[in-house]
Amino acid sequence: MIDFLLNPVMAAAGCFGYGVEAEGQVDLSRLGAIVTRGTTLQPRSGAPAPRMVEAPSGLLHAIGHQNPGIAQVLERFAPRWATWTVPVILNLAASSAEDFASMAGRADVPGVAALEIDLASPDLARRGRPISLDPAAAARVTAAVRQATDLPVIVKLSPAAGDVRALTRAVVEAGANALTCGGGMPASGATLGSSTGTLSGPAIRPIAIRMVEQAHDAVSVPIIGCGGVATVADVLAMLAAGAAAVQIGTALLADPTLAGRLADELRLLRPPV
Amino acid sequence: MSARLQASRASRPSDAELISAREFLPGQWLQTYRAPSLAASLRPGQYLQVDAPIGWGVPMRRPVTVHSVDRGRGEVSVHLDSADPATTWLSTVRPSENVALLGPLGRPVRVDPRSHQLLLIAEGPAVAGLRFIADEALTAGRRVTLLLGAHGAAEVYPSSLLPDEVEYVVATDDGSVGHVGSVVDLVTRYEAWADQAFAAGPPAMLATLARLAAGREKRLGVARLGRRGGRAPARGSQRARPRSWLQVLLPQRVGCALGVCLGCVVMGSDGPTRVCREGPVYEVDELTWDDPT
Repeated sequence: MIDFLLNPVMAAAGCFGYGVEAEGQVDLSRLGAIVTRGTTLQPRSGAPAPRMVEAPSGLLHAIGHQNPGIAQVLERFAPRWATWTVPVILNLAASSAEDFASMAGRADVPGVAALEIDLASPDLARRGRPISLDPAAAARVTAAVRQATDLPVIVKLSPAAGDVRALTRAVVEAGANALTCGGGMPASGATLGSSTGTLSGPAIRPIAIRMVEQAHDAVSVPIIGCGGVATVADVLAMLAAGAAAVQIGTALLADPTLAGRLADELRLLRPPV
Repeated sequence: MSARLQASRASRPSDAELISAREFLPGQWLQTYRAPSLAASLRPGQYLQVDAPIGWGVPMRRPVTVHSVDRGRGEVSVHLDSADPATTWLSTVRPSENVALLGPLGRPVRVDPRSHQLLLIAEGPAVAGLRFIADEALTAGRRVTLLLGAHGAAEVYPSSLLPDEVEYVVATDDGSVGHVGSVVDLVTRYEAWADQAFAAGPPAMLATLARLAAGREKRLGVARLGRRGGRAPARGSQRARPRSWLQVLLPQRVGCALGVCLGCVVMGSDGPTRVCREGPVYEVDELTWDDPT
């Protein structure tokens, strides 16, 4: 159900904004797909500064879903996406199944290839706990989104649950077409403006790989590995763990051209069959 | 947004060769790189980013403050502070080795063509970011006064590094050199003299200066600059920036520097603003000062 991907290397949510910000600096057509910034029902001005601080081999961040809201995003950016060859996956963030479903119901427009439902970010309505720590709540959201749209639904889950097998089964039974596994651990730091943030980057790569292995073991939908991928060896490790595709996150902030180069290198290593 | 993106395309990593490095104060370094295209294009207030090699455990590019630029020689001096993790590896670079410097990044300071007397206000190591403004202003025939605050004599930027033409006034917390107390206390003595002021330092110091600047016109009873140039631009608007009495240089943080990740965002008077693109130089009314930056 993610056969719309042009290749297995994607840009993770937040790293290329809505794509238009990166368009002039990066050849987006080399990517398998790009995932947009997290989009919410209403516009959000985001979290207080500092939003991003370094941690050993990682990045601690709390952007707070700054975005112009779903209506603006679809009006301003979707027509542009419709002219691109690279598929655009719209990332949605909310605190309730109703809000997720409301956005999903509006998002089936030209230019949107799929939805990624963010259940991995710290959720303000849950004191910073990601929704995906609660399998029942995650399944409720997934089912509501599934009802609201015919688009492929990718559900992004947090590795913080530890053992994610029950969670992945619940979400797939509720209708998820694919899972994004990884994407950061809930974390805190005194120098961050928010009380809860997310740790991403190489520091969480082994955690993400284990999560991919568990998800691959539990469910048969495609798994997208996300967490600290920065080299072609990291991509291969994710694929070996059972991922069908990978997302590049933190490493793209240091080098926006990295995802395109990894996609090219991977093509040389694994000629299309 | 598209105009900003057009501008950002000019920013490409330049291979820069380290020529010299010196520790001018404990934990504070100046490194001089040969980087002719950067030297030609950098303007005061703009900054650079450097990319740490894999293996240093630093996953992001680091912002680096430009100290001074020698356009004739094609050289750029950057300031390193041991409080910054980037220093750890950048200080291991040896002369004749190359480093990729990304820039120029951000928007420069805007000096009103009618301003003849510039006041530079700094606290601590942030003074390094003001040096380039002083050099350019002197070249343009302006007068420059630098006010510096520091904890003690051991942290005071050496006057030997400054051009002779700069009037240099120091305040230290412990009184070991210069005036006793805060640099902010000195500002009121110069606010009538200065046509424009540029400040760099910790957020609390900038916030104090912002409050001070808000009451300046009333204290001095001055007429606004630009009264003959038609309608004055709205306070806090981008058009007001070159005419604003006080501009601040916000500290740079890690982030993509391309305006995409929103990691460097602070709250502006018109909503969130990206320090990496709309900043790092702001006219004081463009920011909200109750928000810690």
